[in-house]
Amino acid sequence: MENGKLKMENSDKILIKGNYAIAQAAVNAGCQCYFGYPITPQTEIGEYLSGKMQELGRGYVCAESELAAINMVMGAVSTGVKAMTSSSSCAVALMQEALSYAASDELPVVLVNVMRTGPGLGYIYPAQGDYNQSVYGGGNGDYKIIVIAPSNVQECIDYTYRAFYLAQKYRNPVILLADGLLGQMMEPANFGEYPYPEVDVSSWALSGAKGRDARAIYSCAREEAKQIQHIIDLHKKFEVIAENETSYEEFGVSDADIILTAFGSMTRNIKAAMKVLREKGIKAGCFRPITLNPFPNNRIEELSKLGKDFIVVEMNMGQMFKDVKYAVNGNSKVELVNRPCGEWLSVEEIVSSVEKVMEKNYAASI
Amino acid sequence: MEKNFILAGFGGQGILLAGTILANSFMLDGKNVTWYPCYGAEMRGGTVNCEIVVSDTEVSSVHKQNTDYALVLNQQSFDRFVERVKSGGTIVANSTLVKETKPRTDINYVFAPMGKIANDLGTNKVTNVVSLGVLSSVCNIISELSLIKAVEKVLGEKKKDLLPLNINALKLGSGLYSAV
Repeated sequence: MENGKLKMENSDKILIKGNYAIAQAAVNAGCQCYFGYPITPQTEIGEYLSGKMQELGRGYVCAESELAAINMVMGAVSTGVKAMTSSSSCAVALMQEALSYAASDELPVVLVNVMRTGPGLGYIYPAQGDYNQSVYGGGNGDYKIIVIAPSNVQECIDYTYRAFYLAQKYRNPVILLADGLLGQMMEPANFGEYPYPEVDVSSWALSGAKGRDARAIYSCAREEAKQIQHIIDLHKKFEVIAENETSYEEFGVSDADIILTAFGSMTRNIKAAMKVLREKGIKAGCFRPITLNPFPNNRIEELSKLGKDFIVVEMNMGQMFKDVKYAVNGNSKVELVNRPCGEWLSVEEIVSSVEKVMEKNYAASI
Repeated sequence: MEKNFILAGFGGQGILLAGTILANSFMLDGKNVTWYPCYGAEMRGGTVNCEIVVSDTEVSSVHKQNTDYALVLNQQSFDRFVERVKSGGTIVANSTLVKETKPRTDINYVFAPMGKIANDLGTNKVTNVVSLGVLSSVCNIISELSLIKAVEKVLGEKKKDLLPLNINALKLGSGLYSAV
């Protein structure tokens, strides 16, 4: 991947659906157990693994519910093996309690959310309405989840690899936040090999106490001072994660007056819109957080201090918009171009919305 | 260059497979390509469609409002997608099941008896492959050679015996329109 362009000369590329790509990437990453319950638009992940895991002698359970699935993942990863579940929006909502526990227990749970429309049962159309659910969580207490958002099928593979690595490296749950569009579409992609080293889990994994003292993993400390320290430790850990793992990509920002910002599959549309705007003489750039948590606050703040304005483009009612606004902190203008769900905002729609915003914000100064 | 295609027909006519073959052929040509299906409560006998976008650079929107080419294998799909063809674009229709009407004056129409040709080959199951042949003859960015390679790839080792039939279907489709 270079500037988001797929290099096509590699004959190892195959045309593959995002869901299958995620599933096979999990296999390559060494995922030993999959637990899940079917839901559109991510069912192909479970479907693929139901055969593949059996073939490889690994674990596959079609759980009785999403609640059971995520708790099974917690059980599996506590023994030191890699395990995952996958689901979609309204069913990921059912997993929130477990995610809070997993974060407190410091369990390397990997959860794939292929977003559909909400709230409530919603519908199977793609949407980006689970930004808040993923980044801020629906579970109780002070906890943080690493959230990574791919924008094409190649990244579905690359970031599945990364999700498994980061989960074990930091003993922290990771959400891979895709959407129905990515899950269902096919695109040429290359699996390569799992690029990360194996993480040593022997110091904490519940791998059987033969020859050593017994261990336990708790989500609570049962003493005030210890509980306080536990929460502080979790947050210190996330500061390290933010320091080391925050990632984003940007295009044409150095001379830009206005920066289009999007996450996930909307990234491709803002990149195309940027080109059209530049042809029209508007100095537009693109900024795309790859990790939504930790969020690239510092870079956005830097850019805003250079006087660059932001237009956040997303398929929800303005969820990442608030985080961009927080990072910009009044240094420059932040506007929202959005639609709650359904057909993705087209390049033409983004261009015309940006032009309207430019007219509104800059008419006085022109 | 970025062009998009909508392929549509009855569930069971092999629309998604035709789209997969087309997308594979673009991949073999070294282009960037995406394939996106309508998904949900589609079933045999209902309508189904998929969208293919091919580009020299990274594909922008995977799912677009309007299309450069529509390939439709039944009447319902013709009625639905004729409205979404860009002005100056082309709709390619299976005249075995689609009436030859021209409701708009700003687009090109290609009618070909794809179903009949497939039947003459012995099975209407290859209507989709015949239709790709027709599409390749009206759209110069589709290479027939890559389509043949893509068919081979999609059929795989298991269904290798069906390759001659499918190549025949492709060639009849592509030869048909240029002969008209």
